[in-house]
Amino acid sequence: MTDPTVLISASNIEKRYPNGTLGLKSASLSVASGEVVVIVGPSGSGKSTLLRTLNGLETITGGEITIDGHVLHERAADLRRLRTSVGMVFQQFNLFPHLCVLDNLMLAPLKVLKLNPAEARARAEKLLVKVGLDDKAGAHPAQLSGGQQQRVAIARALAMQPKVMLFDEPTSALDPEMVGEVLEVMKQLAAEGMTMCVVTHEMGFARAVADRVVFMDRGEIVCEDAPAEFFGAPKHERLKTFLRQVLKA
Amino acid sequence: MAIASTVRRAYAWHGVSVLILLAFAASLYFASKQIDYTWRWQRLPQYLISTGGAEVPAPFDGTVKIEADGKTLSITPLLGGGAAQKVTDVEVPQVGDGEVVFKGNTLGKKPGISAGPLLIGLWLTLRISAVSLVFALILGVLAGLGRVSQNPAARDVSSFYVEVIRGTPLLVQLFIAYFFFAPTLHLSAFSAGVFGLSVFTGAYIAEIVRAGIQAVPKGQTEAAQSLGLSGLQNLRHVILPQAIKKILPPLAGQFINLIKDSSLVSVMALTDLTKAGREVVSSTFSPFEVWFTVALMYLILTGGLSLVVNRFEKRLSRHD
Repeated sequence: MTDPTVLISASNIEKRYPNGTLGLKSASLSVASGEVVVIVGPSGSGKSTLLRTLNGLETITGGEITIDGHVLHERAADLRRLRTSVGMVFQQFNLFPHLCVLDNLMLAPLKVLKLNPAEARARAEKLLVKVGLDDKAGAHPAQLSGGQQQRVAIARALAMQPKVMLFDEPTSALDPEMVGEVLEVMKQLAAEGMTMCVVTHEMGFARAVADRVVFMDRGEIVCEDAPAEFFGAPKHERLKTFLRQVLKA
Repeated sequence: MAIASTVRRAYAWHGVSVLILLAFAASLYFASKQIDYTWRWQRLPQYLISTGGAEVPAPFDGTVKIEADGKTLSITPLLGGGAAQKVTDVEVPQVGDGEVVFKGNTLGKKPGISAGPLLIGLWLTLRISAVSLVFALILGVLAGLGRVSQNPAARDVSSFYVEVIRGTPLLVQLFIAYFFFAPTLHLSAFSAGVFGLSVFTGAYIAEIVRAGIQAVPKGQTEAAQSLGLSGLQNLRHVILPQAIKKILPPLAGQFINLIKDSSLVSVMALTDLTKAGREVVSSTFSPFEVWFTVALMYLILTGGLSLVVNRFEKRLSRHD
């Protein structure tokens, strides 16, 4: 907590559902500034749930989460302020279908950060260039391919100039030929030093981009390691089984 | 070739439907022959547009004095002792010199063409529906938002409102509005009618609004939250603009229902289109012609409204 380079610190997070089942069992994770952490694991292992607790989309029943030194409160106003420093990219993009691409990017900077329209517009246009979609500023989400939509969603999150970006299976809803363009944007972000937390099934991305890979199974963090050791010399039995299954395919 | 023959076949089937409708109309006609009914359509136009002159009502309670020209009446207020008011161009006075009249009493008739009772009834139906629609929308949107609110009190109150109103007949609600709320809240019959109709329709609109809001995918709210938007900003900029497209078609249906439901206010001393129809029947003894005409007039109102809404819907859905 005193380490100034730690951006996200989650300690002993527990998530118990109203019906009594445990979604997360004492999960602890800390992410340093500039670090790229990739979370992998079988479906239902709680990796998306863990990611969603980090910006308060998922409530927790135990433990503590701090973002940039501030405790993630349940109080709406504090939570809202902290959320502006945590960007989120969803599996289903969740773009606002009634707004054009430019307005998707400008809405939160205008309403939450209270930027003036010219500033918000300049920021949005710059980000569209960055994700290679400056020619689509006036298009509506339904007119874009899945890969283009996801790149817009990344730009939308970046428009708030967050300190950390969370990616919840950003390529799982895409046709295979569009996965590359989204991963390319994410690699570029990582290279620029953005702090990132990525839940994904793309092992190639994890191997190439991650500073640290975290393996989750049945609601707990089983082990974490640098990608070379994680994939090259897995120590844990459950991880070995998991890797055999995903790498065989 | 294939397309041309498909089009031709479609036309043939449209011809069949015209024949079916004609056969239905003919059977109605012969059925009425069976009971020895004489159709007198020629009697109807005068109840739509009256050439007999418009009735001139007394402006307040007062004493009548007929001026020298025989067409001007001056009326001295009974109470308060204000100045006499002149009512001109009363071609056929129906009151005598020195007679006491009360507000709304017929003084006589003005010559010329005026709306007949059916058109006057139609106008009241239109007015009461339009005013009720505005209040029903306000009530319905508030209660609909209440139904999906985070606040338990807002949820409870709106659910109670919707359940009570949807669980009781409109006719009973109108009686309660007229016999309980009108005297206790000092409402006129018209206001009581508006009150009853808007409270009733508002409950249905609340459910339409709730369904529309809940039909917007949960991911939209999550995206808005993750960007730091407040609950109100999410509602205003993300949820409602999307919900409105889902709300509009059933809402139009509800407005059409409102126009039709307004016929029930005829039980509460309001001469709407239905009440006017009943009065015309009792003076013409031509129930068939009158009720078919009244039905047609309702159909014109509701059909016109659905045309307008269709056009509006098309404009809204341009971007999907």
